[in-house]
Amino acid sequence: MDGLTDSGHGHFNTKHKWRTEFSGCNYVVKNDTVANHMRVVSLSSFLLRFNYRSTHHLTSNGFYEFLNWFDERAWYPLGRIVGGTVYPGLMVTAGLIHYVLNLLHMTVHIRDVCVFLAPIFSGLTAISTFLLTRELWNQGAGLLAACFIAIVPGYISRSVAGSFDNEGIAIFALQFTYYLWVKSVKTGSVFWTIGCCLSYFYMVSAWGGYVFIINLIPLHVFVLLLMQRYSRRVYIAYSTFYIVGLVLSMQIPFVGFQPIRTSEHMAAAGVFALLQAYAFLQYLKDRLTKQEFQTLFFLGVSLAAGVVFLTVIYLTYTGKFSLSLMRYLCPPPRYAKIHIPIIASVSEHQPTTWVSFFFDLHILVCTFPAGLWFCIKNINDERVFVALYAISAVYFAGVMVRLMLTLTPVVCMLSAIAFSSVFEHYLGDDQKKDSPPTEDSSDEDDKRNSGNLIVTMLMLMLLMMFAVHCTWVTSNAYSSPSVVLASYNHDGSRNILDDFREAYYWLRQNTDEHARVMSWWDYGYQIAGMANRTTLVDNNTWNNSHIALVGKAMSSNESAAYQIMQSLDVDYVLIIFGGVIGYSGDDINKFLWMVRIAEGEHPKDIRESDYFTPQGEFRVDKAGSPTLLNCLMYKMSYYRFGEMQLDFRTPPGFDRTRNAEIGNKDIKFKHLEEAFTSEHWLVRIYKVKNEGSSRTSSFLRKARS
Amino acid sequence: MKRHRFDIGSLVNEEVKRTVDLSTHLAKITTEVLLSNPGRSTVNSFVVALEPELAPHLAFIGASGQEEKDGSLELKETSLKGQSGKFFEVQLLSGLAGGSKLRLQVETVLSHVLRPFPTHITQAERQLVVFQGNHYLYSPYLTTSQTTRVRLASKNVESYTKLGNPSKSDEIIEFGPFQDIPPFSQDPMKIHYENNSPFLTISSITRTIEVSHWGNIAVEETIDLRHTGAFLKGPFSRYDYQRQSDSGISSIKSFKTILPASAQDVYYRDEIGNISTSHLLVLEDAVEVEVRPRFPLFGGWKTHYIIGYNLPSYEYLYTLGDQYALKMRLVDHVYDDQVIDHLTVKIILPEGARNIHLDTPYQIDREPDQLHYTYLDTFGRPVLVATKSNLVEQHIQDVVIHYTFNKILMLQEPLLVVGAFYIMFFTVIIYVRLDFSITKDPAAEVRMKVASITEQVLTLVNKRLGLYRHMNDVVNRYKQSRDTGALNGGRKTMEAEHRTLTNDISSLQARLKVEGSDLADKVAEVQKLDSQVKELVCRSCQEAERLVAGKVKKEAYIENEKSLASKRQELINRIDSLLDAL
Repeated sequence: MDGLTDSGHGHFNTKHKWRTEFSGCNYVVKNDTVANHMRVVSLSSFLLRFNYRSTHHLTSNGFYEFLNWFDERAWYPLGRIVGGTVYPGLMVTAGLIHYVLNLLHMTVHIRDVCVFLAPIFSGLTAISTFLLTRELWNQGAGLLAACFIAIVPGYISRSVAGSFDNEGIAIFALQFTYYLWVKSVKTGSVFWTIGCCLSYFYMVSAWGGYVFIINLIPLHVFVLLLMQRYSRRVYIAYSTFYIVGLVLSMQIPFVGFQPIRTSEHMAAAGVFALLQAYAFLQYLKDRLTKQEFQTLFFLGVSLAAGVVFLTVIYLTYTGKFSLSLMRYLCPPPRYAKIHIPIIASVSEHQPTTWVSFFFDLHILVCTFPAGLWFCIKNINDERVFVALYAISAVYFAGVMVRLMLTLTPVVCMLSAIAFSSVFEHYLGDDQKKDSPPTEDSSDEDDKRNSGNLIVTMLMLMLLMMFAVHCTWVTSNAYSSPSVVLASYNHDGSRNILDDFREAYYWLRQNTDEHARVMSWWDYGYQIAGMANRTTLVDNNTWNNSHIALVGKAMSSNESAAYQIMQSLDVDYVLIIFGGVIGYSGDDINKFLWMVRIAEGEHPKDIRESDYFTPQGEFRVDKAGSPTLLNCLMYKMSYYRFGEMQLDFRTPPGFDRTRNAEIGNKDIKFKHLEEAFTSEHWLVRIYKVKNEGSSRTSSFLRKARS
Repeated sequence: MKRHRFDIGSLVNEEVKRTVDLSTHLAKITTEVLLSNPGRSTVNSFVVALEPELAPHLAFIGASGQEEKDGSLELKETSLKGQSGKFFEVQLLSGLAGGSKLRLQVETVLSHVLRPFPTHITQAERQLVVFQGNHYLYSPYLTTSQTTRVRLASKNVESYTKLGNPSKSDEIIEFGPFQDIPPFSQDPMKIHYENNSPFLTISSITRTIEVSHWGNIAVEETIDLRHTGAFLKGPFSRYDYQRQSDSGISSIKSFKTILPASAQDVYYRDEIGNISTSHLLVLEDAVEVEVRPRFPLFGGWKTHYIIGYNLPSYEYLYTLGDQYALKMRLVDHVYDDQVIDHLTVKIILPEGARNIHLDTPYQIDREPDQLHYTYLDTFGRPVLVATKSNLVEQHIQDVVIHYTFNKILMLQEPLLVVGAFYIMFFTVIIYVRLDFSITKDPAAEVRMKVASITEQVLTLVNKRLGLYRHMNDVVNRYKQSRDTGALNGGRKTMEAEHRTLTNDISSLQARLKVEGSDLADKVAEVQKLDSQVKELVCRSCQEAERLVAGKVKKEAYIENEKSLASKRQELINRIDSLLDAL
């Protein structure tokens, strides 16, 4: 049931990571929106740029060209096969909308389609949530659920305009697939099941989280069998779903043969076999005596178990599929922390805190257990499903922050059920029930009415506060393009810090078209998207050793780093430095992760302990370790910063982010040269000097152009 | 335009005053000439010449007479036998008679003639440029006397040619006077001096003007900018740039673009979004945009941006019947002393514009027309495309486009929308009203039949209840008027109507029974209750008769009536509840 962590390639190549976690302390700068014109709603954040770039490639070069796309501008010198390593659903959806609109002579730019895709799909999500909840409970609960999902911060984070992300359309596909599944279990009609399969196909094409569906539905069927709720409807629904869904999901190039090879999909196959066996036994039961049946049952079960066991052994032995038990027993972050520091370094992969549960779901997190209880109390086939959905989603959301997203819809539905039941009870028109109102009971009635009123008022107040919270979170946390920062002066006026785009645009305009830019992987997609330059590593962190090499270059001294950079044909190095404005998400704060990742691959050259003081502290001032004070990252960050006096109260070279006067003020470069520094020093770009040795690379460049 | 050979007359340049303005990145040469005709015959035109070295840099040339204000003269390019360079024939408004004189002014603007030297400088260095020109006036005529005054950008001059011992004071160098210079004389003038003025060049600009007859003209300019001064050598240090005022003195931080006064919804952006570093100032006669590129431009750096705005069409679009004329600037102001290497103008006219005719103030190259499709277009909007190279501020002039447009076509787009919605709603209506299913569902049909029957029953029963109320009124009136005839008449009509209604209901009840609905029982119950109500109504009628006849006492009647009424009410309530359940 470890659905969402990843695809079965063993490494983590499906997802685009946000950015390395940082331990923020004084965050002077606050993110904010800067949109003084409707048309400038920009694609926010880091990784969305990649999706936009691929969509752009799709619309300008056609679908087949997109599937065959080999991106030589990323992961230099390795390149990346994009067509076969992305879920194309998002790009195809946007491309299709763009194509249809342009066919009707609606000259909408593909960028605008991308920007507004997420809000459109969140509308569809609300509709499908309504449908699903109506199937589970009633129309009123459905309406409430649609209202909740429309404003809940946990989903708003992926549905604001400009959030051009797989998850945005995937949640719609998820909810719609579940609706169609519930419908097909209820009716047992092949029509609904085929609809469910098509929706599942769309989900597979859109997001790696489809594994959640392909495990939850078999689990549902399995639990139904355990609960003696087997029926012909379930048999028809699941058999059709499994076969058609399997065939459809294998049509996505990136998924390929995984559904019959990897262990994530085996549960579905197992349940399919079990269901067939169960149905067969049911058939026999009608025709045999009890004694005969028992013998047959025992024989059949032991035979089946033996066959399955032997097959698994055989397949694992021949390497047809991997049964990495370790991965499924541990929650992913713990597993990753031990084995791959790069996974652990991503802020999105941290375990969820209680605060973020409340932040993203507010009152719903408290009311949804009530909804679950209502469901379990009046159990039927489809409520079994929603109960399983809730329980598994809660587990995954606890494991990893980003999986809050799958929890959000079910929380909305169950809370809606809870609220709806309460309102039905207390707001119901009870005059009708005891229709001739007798004189003597009016006193009691009044009392009850006032009680009803209080409960209703309380509930409404909770909902009101929920709405206020949602608005606040949306405007403060989730509607900021993270490439633009803003600070506030004492008088409340706003300063816009547009340094990222300033530097990226400089790269785009004033460097060679084939220049290779080295930076930490967090900025890979941004450089590719905004600066349109070749990067060494990016947010699709599929090659750990390459990242480790970059980490090693950053954490070595200049001459060692120069050798690495020469071997990688690096022309420019880009770093983020927040010391001037006090931006805490900069590279120095992430630096230890670079060291750790580099140490993982090059334990001889890089040791994490070298970067700490003997007391075990990470300090940038005079007391810091000499290895740190002379490594490339430190030197690039603080080059000429020692001369700069920001404030009369502080000495020159005072780092506002770390509140320390830097330890190495006399920084000189031998092989590097400052090429560009943005207005607030947030982005610094260095040019690697060519000293005759890279004749080959310039030759290559010529040959390429 | 066709070049044609021109035979120069024998004119003489007396008193030539040349002013060479080198204070910006352009060379602006103004020549004041006193032209005299020593011959006898009247001369109608004369020739202006440009040195072969400077000819490729020529951006603009214009001549005007000194006497008439704004009397700009027409120029035509020509060539002279055996002479290199560029030559223009200037048509005089009135011929120059033999022996007479005429004061004229010729203005020449040259771009990219100031060559940075050294070509690469560091951030701390100042920018030096070299100008190479001619000391003399290059002319096919004899020049009797000439002075040349050169205006520089600063006092710092590295070197300059010293022909005729020129005098230099601050930013001005004065050459001459020179006497009796033969035709086509050249003597190289070279000035090497400091010039930190912005060497900004628009390497290409695409100006799109989209006209809508609904009242709007949208203008969008896509601009590629480049700093064409000395290249930046070595690092760019932000520290120095921020701390020292003279660091990067030749770099460009920002410039002002002047837009038309009625410009609205101005946007300034590039491929990666809005550029947040601009300011907009609305003045009385213009809108001033302080355009600040994302980063300061140093020598050799370039940038790219898009600026756009909307204009109300009534200021630029003139109409007479079906004839339209659009009068717009072919190119607009981007920054002071601008140089445009390559201009492309695209004018998008409304769909259906015909007989398009372009009136340009100067020669431009037309490219084949295109079609442009946007919202609600069916056969495309005509797009005029024109290009021109090497433009300067003097080229900011109006272009007039004449076309005819049938006003009926204005309705096309609204009608298209209306039609589309009509078709959509119509399809929905068809879909909802008609049954497209391939299977028959007998249960649903029965349900629908029963529903329609019940509907009828409901109306009939309500009608019947209405009859009772009416009867009640009749009785009350009878009690006052004591008119037995009226009462009997009322009773009779009620009886008759009641019978037909009851019959109708029972027939409907029978039909319900046929359909196998259990509602038939309920209807039967309604009928039963109704007969009781009817009885009660008749009783109250009789009671009233007896009261009028004096057979009962008033109190007893009232008592009786009350109980009857309450009984009736109870029955009616029961009927109502039954009806609700239907």
